[in-house]
Amino acid sequence: MSAPATNAGHAAPSPTATDLVRIEGVHKYFGEHHVLRGIDMTVKQGEVSVLIGPSGSGKSTLLRCVNHLETISAGRIWVKDELIGYREKAGKLHELHLKEIAAQRRNIGMVFQRFNLFGHKTALENVMEAPVQVKGQDKAAARKRALELLDRVGLSDRAKHYPAQLSGGQQQRVAIARALAMDPELMLFDEPTSALDPELVGDVLNVMKDLAKSGMTMVVVTHEIGFAREVGDTLTFMDGGVVVESGNPRDVIANPQQERTRSFLSKVL
Amino acid sequence: MTVMTAPQAETTEATKGGAPELIKAVPVRHPGRWVAAAIILVLAALAIQSLATNPRFAWGTVAAYIMDVNVVRGVGWTLLLTVLSMLLAIILAIILAFMRQSDNPILRWSSWFWVWFFRGTPVYTQLIFWGLVTVLYPSISLGIPFGPQLATYILSDPSKGFIPAILGLGLNESAYLAEIFRAGLKSVDKGQVEAAEALGMRGTKIMWRIVLPQAMRVIVPPTGNETIGMLKTTSLVLAVPFTLDLTFVTNALANRTYQPIPLLIVAAAWYLLVTSILMVGQHYIEKYYGRGVDNLVAAAAVNPAAAKAAGAGTPAGSDTGNGTAIPGGPTAAGPTIEESGR
Repeated sequence: MSAPATNAGHAAPSPTATDLVRIEGVHKYFGEHHVLRGIDMTVKQGEVSVLIGPSGSGKSTLLRCVNHLETISAGRIWVKDELIGYREKAGKLHELHLKEIAAQRRNIGMVFQRFNLFGHKTALENVMEAPVQVKGQDKAAARKRALELLDRVGLSDRAKHYPAQLSGGQQQRVAIARALAMDPELMLFDEPTSALDPELVGDVLNVMKDLAKSGMTMVVVTHEIGFAREVGDTLTFMDGGVVVESGNPRDVIANPQQERTRSFLSKVL
Repeated sequence: MTVMTAPQAETTEATKGGAPELIKAVPVRHPGRWVAAAIILVLAALAIQSLATNPRFAWGTVAAYIMDVNVVRGVGWTLLLTVLSMLLAIILAIILAFMRQSDNPILRWSSWFWVWFFRGTPVYTQLIFWGLVTVLYPSISLGIPFGPQLATYILSDPSKGFIPAILGLGLNESAYLAEIFRAGLKSVDKGQVEAAEALGMRGTKIMWRIVLPQAMRVIVPPTGNETIGMLKTTSLVLAVPFTLDLTFVTNALANRTYQPIPLLIVAAAWYLLVTSILMVGQHYIEKYYGRGVDNLVAAAAVNPAAAKAAGAGTPAGSDTGNGTAIPGGPTAAGPTIEESGR
């Protein structure tokens, strides 16, 4: 990740083949509220990029912009050199059709703070839903793959359980399996452990660590500084809608360059 | 793990010393409850005695007409009216509820207008109107607007009172159901749609596979209520006029035999029977759409034991085995990460 500065005016990062995500000059307004104030960052293939910052800093909003759950007000976001949400023709942006946006999202898995498992479907059905309904995969094949994924997150014995019968940590691991079922190249994690009891956090983080080791490109919004330090390849500290500081997690945590980063870290560590 | 907390220690000691002495207290007396129950039982006995001994209930006549062929046919027509008008109402209500959520303001407004109009006028008035439509429009033609006609349906035939009756009942009901469906759709968490969108699903599919099945849990009970209401509202179709339903048939028999009370009992008995059957159906529909939410107690109770069993054995499929729910793993892993770099 190369997102050094706080202002929007600096030179955009140069596109390279290994950049899976490129975010350039992104602004976001919610009405009058200026939530993102010129964000530039890149995420390389296979990189684990951790976003931290106080609540209201815009980190979750930025994450949600990457798969177009939020529309950006200015700037550009590319995933795999494909412009997210728009088509640029003769210097003009055209909104993509919902069908095309859905197609872009298939390559980007997302895990939510509140899990958002489908309540009327079992763990297995949750994981099978998108491969069968979106990719048109054969049901038997989708079931086999779903069971493999549930096994991978340590929940093969929970396949027939409904979300309401699972603990928060188990639900979140099913949610990770559900996202992985679409074979995404990029995984977005929006505070995946914030809604969990402290003793359940470790299970989810372990699954995420495994995923990182397997080479998945991940963008993780979290308050787990320990996870950032151990698993993260880059750490980006956001505050007030701008990137304050970014770099190697161990360096940033041990030796923050900016006063705001220092004061934030002193509170959460 | 080694430190035993105080309450646990006490429990262990109590168990050691044999079973605890259970409390056997004298319960508080509730004389009021006994008095109320006695009053109700006496009233019920009086009612039953009156029903059994008053000859003017004419139970013989009730027995003679309860399975009368015209009455049974009347039940059939009433059921048909109920089912078809509810079917029409449900289809319209789903469309209206979707329109109400649309980004297109014209769709939103027309849905609102429909509900405003059909909810705001009496169903009796609407039924009379649909009966009179044949005066306004003696026939309906299917064709290209302002162009040639492809098919024509003659309405001004008196035996066709059935269709105006269905239209009158169905359209009126759709307005009420639309509000029930709207409330149901609103009851589903926005996160469900976002999760489906993030997986690459699209509008219609999200609606039918994710939102509507979960909304049904909220929609079914009041819709069952409306269906039972509709069963009885069909007695108003004489306004169209449609004259084959249960109420009209029993009224006609009553007028012919000069015995209104036994024939009212006949009609009431049939309405009660059909209502009871509909309630059974509703129970099963509710059970189906409550899956994943209601009646999970038994399964949830199994959970702790199953969790222990799972923790004790099977390693995860992943190569590192980190994903497994190892006992103590959940508690140990978090702090370990925190400490490792500090």
